[in-house]
Amino acid sequence: MRRLLVALLLAVACRPTADRPAAPPPPIAHRIVSLAPSSTELLFAIGAGEQVVGRTTWCRYPAAALLVPAVGDGLNPNVEAIAARQPDLVVLYRSQMNETAAQQLARLGIPTVTLAQDRLEDIAQAARELGRLTGHQQAGDSIGAAIDTLLQSPSPPPTAPIARVTFVVWDNPPMVIGGGSYLDQLATLAGASNVFHDIAGASATVSIETIVARNPDVILVLSDRTAPPAYSARREWRAIRAVREGRFIMLPGGLFGRASPSAPAAVAALRHALETRK
Amino acid sequence: MRRWLGLAGLVALALVSAVVLGPAHVALGDLTSSEIVRSLRVPRALLALLVGGSLGVAGASLQALVRNPLADPFLLGLSGGAGLGAVLAIALHVAGPWALPLAAFVGALGAMALVYRLGLVGGAQLDPRVLLLAGVAVGAFTGAITTAIVSLAEAADLRNAFLWLWGGLSGASWDTVLVMVVYIPVPLVVLYAAARPLDLLALGEEPATHLGADVEPLKRRVYLAASMLTAAAVAVSGVIGFVGLIVPHITRLVWGHHHRTLLPAAFLGGGALLLFADTVARVSVAPRELPVGIVTALVGVPLFAVLLRRWMGGGPRG
Repeated sequence: MRRLLVALLLAVACRPTADRPAAPPPPIAHRIVSLAPSSTELLFAIGAGEQVVGRTTWCRYPAAALLVPAVGDGLNPNVEAIAARQPDLVVLYRSQMNETAAQQLARLGIPTVTLAQDRLEDIAQAARELGRLTGHQQAGDSIGAAIDTLLQSPSPPPTAPIARVTFVVWDNPPMVIGGGSYLDQLATLAGASNVFHDIAGASATVSIETIVARNPDVILVLSDRTAPPAYSARREWRAIRAVREGRFIMLPGGLFGRASPSAPAAVAALRHALETRK
Repeated sequence: MRRWLGLAGLVALALVSAVVLGPAHVALGDLTSSEIVRSLRVPRALLALLVGGSLGVAGASLQALVRNPLADPFLLGLSGGAGLGAVLAIALHVAGPWALPLAAFVGALGAMALVYRLGLVGGAQLDPRVLLLAGVAVGAFTGAITTAIVSLAEAADLRNAFLWLWGGLSGASWDTVLVMVVYIPVPLVVLYAAARPLDLLALGEEPATHLGADVEPLKRRVYLAASMLTAAAVAVSGVIGFVGLIVPHITRLVWGHHHRTLLPAAFLGGGALLLFADTVARVSVAPRELPVGIVTALVGVPLFAVLLRRWMGGGPRG
């Protein structure tokens, strides 16, 4: 019995440890799982779409991304579903909720890169980083440079008075976009000013009363529909002048739904919508 | 009498501060002409009073019914049913400005019916212990279905249904106030009419029967009326915790155990607590707003602790 135990211990001790060599990550990734809508769109934009083998349920742009199998959520992702895609690179969204997943993937020997993707400068940075990791360095650098140019562009002198806008992203409780969001950047670049720019976070719950007091000229709504949102018929919302007067601009999710390499097009579309509004 | 005057003063103070204070600056002289005051602050203050009062009365009645001090209007599965209703409305694309409140109300009533049916399991008698268990079970079950729908569906709107469910009083308008004013008197009167039998029920079901209370219909009436109040509250303001749990205990400490005084006091106390809490929620971190359910706990617990010390320390008064 004792001899058997010793033999077992020896067998375990002598088990070849080199069955999963800790090789350095390959210089160019060919099987990428992208766990955020922004990075998925970026990968396709830099020409690495063919190398993407997994995305989140929420990655819907560009349309070609929908052909890639989804592995679930991007926050607290399903590590097993990711591993099943046998990736050689996993792109994670920078968030505390993803730290465990990054560790688990590292333990499986799957290389990861964690990228902030909240603001336009994050996207420029991410484009360059992903370009390097996927062998599309030139395309990545060029998208990064385009966004840098956009961010540094002096805004042309406004022809009309600056439009004061509010992004209302949810109605009960009322949630608006603050200065920390890429949407605030897009508004500024389009020659408008977000009346909740002073709120540091990306979004915040506010009172309808506060929106009434700040009295925006236009309410910007992230929606693919063209009809004004349902809350515009509710009496408490009609205390806001812009709601009473029906001053809504609907922003399609394709251009405005996330910080994206098409930010220049989004800025142009928003500027056009603001200039041509009644 | 002094206690009633104090409570009335508290409600008046809460109402005035809710109307005068807000994240937007309104000069005192402009209070009556201001659009913000007339169409936002006043209806929101009245709704807080009505919802807080309803939750206070529903909590006091349910605690007497199930003879459990931990009973809370939302413990009986209604919040789960309301959440499921709201999520289904979004998933099935039911449109319209009133779609969510109506769906939540229907969901809460559905949960109420299910819990009631389960409470009758094993005979024609409504067993309070089974009622509590059924409430927790139905709440967990509907919550699980809701979470499953939200995590499997691909619409971002669905996640916001949870925001709505914990939304607080930002949906207040004269419309919602009117709905509540028309709706809540019936369940309130039903519960007040049951005040004396509820006192007897506190002695236990058998003694209550011997003392002449018609226990079975009483239990059903109280359960249904309290749930109707809670369902309306969740439809207009989401799940606001703590008011229905703590206010009955506070009022019991001050007014004693007679429901004829306890229920009106719980209404006014619940209204005052929610008014103060909502004012703090709107003003304290302006321009942002806090979830009111957090504030009800932050305001309610210290108040409860102080009263507990004072009344328990000096011996209970009637």
